[in-house]
Amino acid sequence: MPARSLQSLGWALALPPVLFLLAFFVGPLLYLLYVSFHGASTSDLYNAELTLANYAAIAGDPFYLRVLLRTLETAAAIMGLCLAVGYPVAMLVAKLPRRRREIASILLLLPLMVSNVVRAYGWVAILGRRGLVNIALGKVGLIDAPLALLYTPAAVVLGLATILLPYMVISIANTLASLDRRYEEAAQALGAGPIRTFLHVTLPLSSPGVASGLLLVFLLTLSAYVTVTLLGGPPSKLLVSLVYDNVVSFQWPRAAALAFVLLAVALVVSALILAVLRPGRVRGRGR
Amino acid sequence: MADAAEPPDVRLARVSKSYGTVAAVRELSLEIPRGVFFSLLGPSGCGKTTTLRLIAGFEHPDAGEVYIRRARVTGVPPYRRDFSMVFQSYALFPHLTVAENVAFGLRMRRRPKGERGRSISEALALVKLAGFEARYPRELSGGQQQRVALARAIVVRPAVLLLDEPLGALDKLLREEMQVELRHLQQELGITAVFVTHDQEEALTLSDQIAVMRNGVIEQLGPPRAVYERPETEFVASFLGASNLLAGRVTDGSRGSKVVVEVAGYRSSVSGTNGAGEAVRVAVRPERLRLGLAGEPGVAATVREIVYRGAATHVYLESAGGPLLAYLQNTGGAGQSVRPGDRVTCSWEDEAAVLLRA
Repeated sequence: MPARSLQSLGWALALPPVLFLLAFFVGPLLYLLYVSFHGASTSDLYNAELTLANYAAIAGDPFYLRVLLRTLETAAAIMGLCLAVGYPVAMLVAKLPRRRREIASILLLLPLMVSNVVRAYGWVAILGRRGLVNIALGKVGLIDAPLALLYTPAAVVLGLATILLPYMVISIANTLASLDRRYEEAAQALGAGPIRTFLHVTLPLSSPGVASGLLLVFLLTLSAYVTVTLLGGPPSKLLVSLVYDNVVSFQWPRAAALAFVLLAVALVVSALILAVLRPGRVRGRGR
Repeated sequence: MADAAEPPDVRLARVSKSYGTVAAVRELSLEIPRGVFFSLLGPSGCGKTTTLRLIAGFEHPDAGEVYIRRARVTGVPPYRRDFSMVFQSYALFPHLTVAENVAFGLRMRRRPKGERGRSISEALALVKLAGFEARYPRELSGGQQQRVALARAIVVRPAVLLLDEPLGALDKLLREEMQVELRHLQQELGITAVFVTHDQEEALTLSDQIAVMRNGVIEQLGPPRAVYERPETEFVASFLGASNLLAGRVTDGSRGSKVVVEVAGYRSSVSGTNGAGEAVRVAVRPERLRLGLAGEPGVAATVREIVYRGAATHVYLESAGGPLLAYLQNTGGAGQSVRPGDRVTCSWEDEAAVLLRA
């Protein structure tokens, strides 16, 4: 087949998904943006007048700022936990021979087949007032009254971190496994012991995996709802919870505005992660 | 070269290494004196790379000892051994600039900052890359990356420089240029180098000593001229350049260090101690083969094919004992006027013939 017609075939194949994306993602998103610049209406989705009131209200209300801050703190804690636990596991997985590495990846993904609702209730059974932890501590006599473990930000962090950990592990393990071993040997040949080889060579070279792991964990944290609601309860609401609350109270334009705040947060933090880790430099571009 | 009191920079003592049931290196011993350019030459799978990695400490021997200078380093991890290495893939750190790459070994050895800067400039000047400090490896050509790898290795002034087919990834012209530069650099710095290659020309060009390896053992060790001109085995004779391998018989074994060998009726006096009547193999380099008219003393042969190669003409011949190859120098003048189908005789001077070990 001549190159030209091959190229037009490529365009033809790409067209349906592009149209689908335009119709069901870009279009609604733009519409949502439009909605966010209107006031609420009791009879319609939004009223006719254009206004910045929604954004002004979000920016001016300390409650929203508190929730935004809590969202960022929670996400940071989850990312930190996933990175700290995930990196060593990823190093172990990456060292496995290819076949075993594939099996390990499947095992890591296995927990994702259990519904988040079920897993959240599992945590309730462990962390609740009459959950495993409190009963055990009570039996041993370490506590007189049950500890408030559930409905805390810590419970949300724990619950989400365990769900998101596989993304971090697999993303870092893939990068580590594809690293040329000669880099580490070159470092050793130049007198770097295992720790300095790790710090100066392996760690920076794994930055693409760390960056994509952090991005996945962060974005999935931002959009997590079930786990946040079931384990965090009303005191630990995150941005997503507020979007939902506004939707169910028919404050559609406010919900739309919050959704765009969420999107902005996602974009800014993603850009920050990329700017700090500079995964591009591993390809030698130095950025 | 080393004086008698000085230990060799590298010494392997009966070193063996197997992978599973495959023996990569078998009871290999060698000594490399200070300042020598030492090549490990052989086909893939001969154990040359394993030998290099045993010196580096990336592999540990199943038996035997490894020494670098006065230190016994068997079992010592690579980062505590006094060597540096240039890899075939260069293995430049992609996230570091040229200067940072070269600085790496100095930083790991905790050299003070000021000294580091001077050493880096010196090393980059040596490989003709001054001014490239701030570039990243990806922004350099293959040859330039090769030079950075070399600068990174020599800047730490190691006891021994290990080179794992460092020129293998370069194209022919650049490779020949780098050969000359590498040799020049090694001699200027007086650094001991161990060079792994499967390219016999490269080994001949660069080395003070060549160890021809096969199946995990050294078949022959010596300076390039000795290894090329006096190959001891059929393998060495045919791996290092081309050779005519001829079957002969000793007719007179009673002449001290010389014996008379008869090949297809042609007699020559050759170094050896074999007894009369013994069947032997003789190697003669194609450039040492002389062609004469039919009837002159020599091995009778028929010209099959003539290939003009610029500096020389390659003449392929067929004799009763098998095919023969002769290189005739194109020195101008009347030139060689053999044509395919011509009946000729092949002869050689006595010292051109080498008796091979069985």
